[in-house]
Amino acid sequence: MNKILFFAHLRDAVGEEYLKLNATGKTVGELKVELAGSYNLPKLDTVMTAVNEEFAQDDEVIQDGDEIAFIPPVSGG
Amino acid sequence: MDERYSRQVLFPGIGKAGQEKICKKHVLMIGAGALGSGNAEVLTRAGVGRLTIVDRDYVEASNLQRQQLYTEEDVAEKLPKAAAAKKRLSAINSDVEVKAIIGDATPAMLEDLVHDVDVIIDATDNFETRMAINDVSQKYKIPWIYGACVGSYGMSFSIIPGKTPCLNCLLRTIPMQGLTCDTGGIISPAVQMVISHQSAEVLKMLVEDWDAVRTSFVSFDLWRNQYTSLKMGKAKFAGCLSCGEERTYPYLDQENMTKTTVLCGRDTVQVRPSTQGDLSLERLAGQLSTLGYTVKGNPYLLSVEMGSLRMVIFNDGRALIHGTKDLTHAKSIYQRILG
Repeated sequence: MNKILFFAHLRDAVGEEYLKLNATGKTVGELKVELAGSYNLPKLDTVMTAVNEEFAQDDEVIQDGDEIAFIPPVSGG
Repeated sequence: MDERYSRQVLFPGIGKAGQEKICKKHVLMIGAGALGSGNAEVLTRAGVGRLTIVDRDYVEASNLQRQQLYTEEDVAEKLPKAAAAKKRLSAINSDVEVKAIIGDATPAMLEDLVHDVDVIIDATDNFETRMAINDVSQKYKIPWIYGACVGSYGMSFSIIPGKTPCLNCLLRTIPMQGLTCDTGGIISPAVQMVISHQSAEVLKMLVEDWDAVRTSFVSFDLWRNQYTSLKMGKAKFAGCLSCGEERTYPYLDQENMTKTTVLCGRDTVQVRPSTQGDLSLERLAGQLSTLGYTVKGNPYLLSVEMGSLRMVIFNDGRALIHGTKDLTHAKSIYQRILG
């Protein structure tokens, strides 16, 4: 199982601070596509991903127990 | 100098040697909105040698809630932010050489400005300019500090050429805007938190304490009580066009830059002519008044009421069209007035 955390407007879109689901064996990129489809999220391709608090590329494979966080870069200033 | 900076000289990370360095350094700040105001005030009070501020906007009532350098008087005068910031900063510390540049931070302008700059602070409101800053930083080997916020959420990351990943490594492309800027609003504490992260990083760089510079990417949400610090060891992208082996600095190519932009968080389009002119605002004001428009102005800009729209024209030919997000419409309005 994996814990998936969402930040900023993604959390509002999902409606939860985190989800528990099994993403083990998928790549970060595959998980992004799946989540965007099932939660009606904006496209996640420019959203940064952390696996266990470490920046991860889209081709990183998720292991059992990994905690994934989606951190959208924002532009306000 | 001794009395004025005594408390930060007492701080072991700075000391007398650090203060002497700070007083000799030159910081370039792109943007003078919320992040720019706060960072500029910290650096001016800290006694930075020179501060160059670039901003394309002017002060409006909706800025006062969080943009700490500005006053109601600046709003009434529609002062450009860079000019209003310089006025306030010079009153705070007259030893700091503040240079105000009223204009859009284009790649060409950035390349002109960076030669003797020690650190660049990102206080912009859009990714197009940030990517240009990022390329300039890589090309001229000048560190810069990304900072951004929306709602109660904010983030910061220090980018040192040759050492850390760059913004293009992280994003690979310019993110689509609008999802958050127009809907999220902003609270001042989120701004202040980003300013604290950015300005602490700048001070470390100015005193050349490179080991102290944060290597992680910070993001936080002050309302939802989240704070994360991402390790960035795997973030450097070998094929990056800004910092990789085969770099081309794609965001320094003027032709790649948009000429019309929806401004973050506002019902406003900026139109930038491909060649910058030097308009005669006085003559234009006369013509527009004759046509029956209500025109107000100062030496820097003209504000023209056009039904539900308001157009603000700067003397470099750039215009802000308030009351629309439609790029084509904005361009058409612009061309109706300026050809």
